[in-house]
Amino acid sequence: MSVHALHKTEATQKAAPHLEVVPNLVRELGGITHLLTCGSVDDGKSTLIGRLLWDASDLYEDQRENVRRSGRKAAGTDLPDFSMLLDGLVAEREQGITIDIAWKYFDTDTRRFVIIDSPGHEQYTRNMASGASHADVAIVLVDARSGVKKQTKRHTAILDLVGVKHVVLAVNKMDLVGWSEDVFRKIEADFRTQCWKFNFWDATAIPLSAVFGDNVSGGSANMPWYTGPTLIQHLEKAPSRASEAGSVFRFPVQTVLRDGQDFRGLAGTVTSGSVKVGDIVVDALSNASGKVIRIATMDGDLPSASAGQAIALQLDVDIDVSRGAVLSAPEMRPVPAQTVEARFVWLSEDAFSPTAGYLLRTSTDLIPISNIEIKALLDLETMASRPARSCSANDIAIAKISLGRAASIDVFTETPETGTLLLVDSVTGATMAGGIATSVNAKAEQPAEGHFVLKRDMLANGLNRDLSMSSSDREEFMRRANEVAIILRSAGVSVAIEPPPPVDDGMDPGL
Amino acid sequence: MTASPSHLDLLESESIHIFREAAAQFRKPVLMYSIGKDSTVLLHLARKAFFPQAVPFPLLHVDTTWKFRDMITFRDRTARELGLNLIVHTNEEGIKRGINPIDHAPSIHTDVLKTQALKQALDKYGFDAAFGGARRDEEASRAKERVFSFRASGHRWDPRKQRPEMWHLLNGRLGTGETVRVFPMSNWTEKDVWRYILREKLEVVPLYFAAERPTIVRNGQILMQDDQRLQPRDGEKVEMRKIRFRTLGDYPLTAAVESDADTIESVVAETINAQTSERQGRLIDHDQAGAMEKKKQEGYF
Repeated sequence: MSVHALHKTEATQKAAPHLEVVPNLVRELGGITHLLTCGSVDDGKSTLIGRLLWDASDLYEDQRENVRRSGRKAAGTDLPDFSMLLDGLVAEREQGITIDIAWKYFDTDTRRFVIIDSPGHEQYTRNMASGASHADVAIVLVDARSGVKKQTKRHTAILDLVGVKHVVLAVNKMDLVGWSEDVFRKIEADFRTQCWKFNFWDATAIPLSAVFGDNVSGGSANMPWYTGPTLIQHLEKAPSRASEAGSVFRFPVQTVLRDGQDFRGLAGTVTSGSVKVGDIVVDALSNASGKVIRIATMDGDLPSASAGQAIALQLDVDIDVSRGAVLSAPEMRPVPAQTVEARFVWLSEDAFSPTAGYLLRTSTDLIPISNIEIKALLDLETMASRPARSCSANDIAIAKISLGRAASIDVFTETPETGTLLLVDSVTGATMAGGIATSVNAKAEQPAEGHFVLKRDMLANGLNRDLSMSSSDREEFMRRANEVAIILRSAGVSVAIEPPPPVDDGMDPGL
Repeated sequence: MTASPSHLDLLESESIHIFREAAAQFRKPVLMYSIGKDSTVLLHLARKAFFPQAVPFPLLHVDTTWKFRDMITFRDRTARELGLNLIVHTNEEGIKRGINPIDHAPSIHTDVLKTQALKQALDKYGFDAAFGGARRDEEASRAKERVFSFRASGHRWDPRKQRPEMWHLLNGRLGTGETVRVFPMSNWTEKDVWRYILREKLEVVPLYFAAERPTIVRNGQILMQDDQRLQPRDGEKVEMRKIRFRTLGDYPLTAAVESDADTIESVVAETINAQTSERQGRLIDHDQAGAMEKKKQEGYF
């Protein structure tokens, strides 16, 4: 055994001597807050996260002991080096991991916090965007001595792009500017100015010192002029994305569940709004609708379900919807989009290629792209766009996409959960870019010359003649049609899949 | 309006969502069932995800032949009572070569009877996706793990080939030769697992509860003499102690803690007040620095 092993001296250690302080065993916390931290190492990010964990969380005793015993001190002080709690992969630099986010979990008395830690350097836009896409609230860290920098502007722009609504500017190292209110107010004002152009619901600046702990979980005797909340107090009040998901009902169907002849359940997670038994729901693509007669879970049927809940819906009629459909209320449908304009963060090391076969991934659908054009790149410092035809890693690209068939997509700023997109390489499967829909159009672009339409009867008579009319076979039909479109596309053929005939004309919708 | 969901409700929904995404996107998934508390929760979540339909994929247990006997009993009874399709795979060649955790270094034993065995089983049945109960809070190298963790052919984990995951979009399109490990419980913590077991009244292997058991203290660790293959060495003796386990694996590699917690409530209480994080009880992790990182690259779960 190595020296890393345990407390060898105590062969018979007791697991836990203190059993008395468990008021409620099945303690269920009042929710989960996903917290992104951005800022560079120099701004004291690791120290701040370490301090949060140390002061406010339920760290295990052995983790605390490691920090105490290491003897490592925070630079220029006699205090423990809390950044140790963030030590990550052994050989991260050697491995050249480029898109990595570390996840850390801690509980306060009322909430679960998930810290999403992403590298802060300017070249890592994609890491930050990918981390921020999961965040309910973001802490943007600045050094009180340097204030709002170019990087701060880039960070806030990315947060806005991926839909973060709550931002905290943590003005760190206040001890190094003599705890000066003037310095803080100046930075706070700069930050406010910067944030006006974004869609944040709440942007708050807090003066603190991560090393000494001022305004992290406890208040600050050094800054009596500050009367606002400490960082932890502020974070505990931040609502989660799910709770702010909006009132428009969306239900992307993941899969169809069956139980004998009697049950056909559309399984999925409510992404926004809510649904109750008796509601009419509709699939915008096929126009098929039905009434919800049962909301099934293993814990019993529910009268209603809201954003974030994973359920199975049973309808009064057996409408032919399957994976990829997005159910909504009849009067508030997503657009059956044929063309989409979107902003993408380019994630892949491989640059954009107009001839690569890309697929568009929406909440539960995967759609062949018949044409994709990069229109412009966005400068995150100025938010100005300049025309471009291509893009590569870390770029924010504005793109126009024509889909091989219609798909239910929302505009991200209106209905975020069903307005997010991935660009997928059809051959390697790699995720090339992540993005948001900024505009969706149900009208197809005028077909270009040589545009090939993949007819459904052509497919049914040959490639798909082994398939029946059952709905699982219809899914397989679409899968094969998509794959054929991909192959043709990679051979340079502009291709579209003939849409299914509408349901209400008496024809079978599948073929 | 109903009360806002608790953190366990949110975690449960997220896990169900992941199960359904994977089952819909992959051709032939399998659930890695290791019998412990995390597997118990994983299986329960799988049942919830597809209710009222039966779990639409088999369970795979990689049996090193060194599991606690109580674990095997529990495994077989669970599969029978829930009507699950259970596949048990052992690396017979490794057993023939005499590889075992008492005479060989834990890293060799684990490589042959767990890592190699797992690869054999996945290849034999042609599974393209394997669900596992791993959590990001378990260990530093797992803190960066994806929900869909891709493996190149030969099951190698290449950190550079991992896909960024944004929002709730899970891209399961496989490249040639690729397979995937799916971790529906990525965002759970050890405490959540116990709280959920208590809340859902799930049955777990009795070894998690304190009882008088025959033990040998070796290298400062309390081991249980589960059968005659583990014998005391010079200076060691077999003694009865009231012990329980915080984590279960191969019995000669799993350290016990002395404890009086003999009910689910007292175990949860003990865990919530725990002085040490759970992997301290798992001997293979301390074998080499960065052990888990290395094992993962080699294809260990």
